[in-house]
Amino acid sequence: MTEAIEVQLKKGVLALCVLALLSKADSYAYEIASKLAKDIDMGEGTIYPLMRRMQSDGQVETYLVESQSGPPRKYYRLTEAGRASFTAQKAEWAAFSSAVENILGAAA
Amino acid sequence: MTRAEFLIRLKRGLAGMPAAQIADIVADYEAHFNDAQEAGRSESEVAAALGDPERLAREQRAEQGVKRWEETKNPSAAAGAIFAIVGLGAIDIIFLLPLLMGVLGTLFALFMAAIVMFVAGGAVTTAGPFAGLPGGPVVAFLTGIGLMAGATAMAAVTTLLTIWLVNGLVWFGRLHYRLLKPAIETQV
Repeated sequence: MTEAIEVQLKKGVLALCVLALLSKADSYAYEIASKLAKDIDMGEGTIYPLMRRMQSDGQVETYLVESQSGPPRKYYRLTEAGRASFTAQKAEWAAFSSAVENILGAAA
Repeated sequence: MTRAEFLIRLKRGLAGMPAAQIADIVADYEAHFNDAQEAGRSESEVAAALGDPERLAREQRAEQGVKRWEETKNPSAAAGAIFAIVGLGAIDIIFLLPLLMGVLGTLFALFMAAIVMFVAGGAVTTAGPFAGLPGGPVVAFLTGIGLMAGATAMAAVTTLLTIWLVNGLVWFGRLHYRLLKPAIETQV
């Protein structure tokens, strides 16, 4: 697969992946970034602009948790809107990916 | 690059943005360095993975300018968005600059012409009927009203063109994000 297509694909699902991670448990940016960096090969610095955008869109909110080592950590959790958006996007993704699967399967 | 160096360069790049926002952004990257250190990674490795801090700052500013433009479509927000996009310093934007200046100049001239026409229309409407112009007072009055209506339409069209131009520029500029928007970089 060419690099350009790969980047475009990942770009599209990154926000969905963040929503999915947060739907399971609240988390902080470094943890989210390292999970995504490992699994879908994402540049780790890019999580911050994304989280800021999601926060200003009202999909996530933050709270601070004291940590033993160093300053308090900023945790993210889904808002109601974020949860709704996750459900909607997940359904969209499932429909889209099964449609693509069908086409790919037919071509094989 | 060390952690301190990265943060200094990032802060320098962000200077001029609202202080609370700078603090927010810088705190995020500081926390990132802390967490990475706990995970046993070196400062230089983390800095390299994060990317060029000046570039990061420029893209943050561009995004900020664009957001303000999307929220408030006023001339100062437009100027802010344009400067921020040009600040990305992509070569082709620089080449486009003279052309852009020409187009902006033309739009400005159209606005000025519309204002002058409106004022002239106003003058004809109020003073025309008493000036004993050929055609009589009614014709003078209607001419004035017509001029003002024409000027208003011209200003409206110019406004639309300007908004399109800035939106187009924003779209074009966003294609040049390397660190921010491609939200993902393939690791080389």
